[in-house]
Amino acid sequence: MTDNTQNTDAMEQELLALLKDYPMPDATAGFYDQALVRAAHEGTRRQRNRWIMTGFGGAVAAGLAILIVSGTFFQAPEAPVADPGIPGVTIALAEPRTVNLVFSSAEALDTATLTVSLPPGIELAGFPGQSEVTWETSLAEGRNLLPLKLLAVTPAGGEVLARLEHDDRDRTFRLRVDVS
Amino acid sequence: MPAPLGARLGRMSPTSTEVFERVVRPHFDRLYRLAWRLAGSKAEAEDLFQEVLIKAFAKLDELVTIDEPGSWLSRVMYNLFIDERRRFSRRRLVIVEEGQLPGDGLAAFEGGPTPTGDHERLEKFERLERALDQLSVEHRIIVLLHDTEGYKLTEIEALTGTPVGTIKSRLHRARARLRQILTDDGTLSSP
Repeated sequence: MTDNTQNTDAMEQELLALLKDYPMPDATAGFYDQALVRAAHEGTRRQRNRWIMTGFGGAVAAGLAILIVSGTFFQAPEAPVADPGIPGVTIALAEPRTVNLVFSSAEALDTATLTVSLPPGIELAGFPGQSEVTWETSLAEGRNLLPLKLLAVTPAGGEVLARLEHDDRDRTFRLRVDVS
Repeated sequence: MPAPLGARLGRMSPTSTEVFERVVRPHFDRLYRLAWRLAGSKAEAEDLFQEVLIKAFAKLDELVTIDEPGSWLSRVMYNLFIDERRRFSRRRLVIVEEGQLPGDGLAAFEGGPTPTGDHERLEKFERLERALDQLSVEHRIIVLLHDTEGYKLTEIEALTGTPVGTIKSRLHRARARLRQILTDDGTLSSP
């Protein structure tokens, strides 16, 4: 056996040992029980096909606010600010730039839906050609971060809308994107 | 053998919720581990796990007729993850501590400061985590299921629908790539 083969074998064993021990955290305490309850509730709802489409209007929750931070999010001020106008960012054509949306919620919200709508010429990196992208998610109490990597494919710019829906309530946040 | 909960409560038959729990709960730990390995973080793993249970409950009539519900649940989870991987990937709303980068993979471990030895070990796993992130989804899943979770090749074939020969090939390439990355960053001993 050559030295090279022996070295590769040794590294393979080292790698396999590392992988074998690769840890993972336990589920949150009580998660299984909660998941069962939610499954029964939501599963029954789906069985009966009683989806309720909610309309717009109203606030998601008292105290919900958004802070849009361009660049490194940890430079954000301590508390979210009420936006007096439409916040904006300027991005360069064809150069992806991450814009961090920081949602602050006064309470934990389960099964919230976030929809990002994009103007023509602005794309989300990883979602080429899609003018609307939707996530189902949850909000923790306090600050929640959504990094959006925006890409300008034309110089037109426009408004990015982030709509957050929970139960029968929703709220839409607007971000002006200019292209330099 | 204890009577079903429904019977103990005086009902003629157990409720659908009780039947559901009896079928699925024995598979929870394995299912959660699969969710975590697929999604790579606690929050997404719990979302994925939850969604699978919801889908399973909606198909309870079918579920109770299946010989191996654990395998069925795992396949539902895998297919859901692949179909909606963007939804269950790391890109989601996360809570952010001041001055801390997002990410709840290894950072999700609870507890206080770790002793030096543990800290070095944790750093090794963090580098492994970053190396795994550089693999394609298909390669990462196979190496984690086989080398970390101990799935047999035939079990991975049944789960993913990928032939064993392809799985072996992907496993070989994934390990080679990991060796390269982890050698370059000094995690593994250099030749």
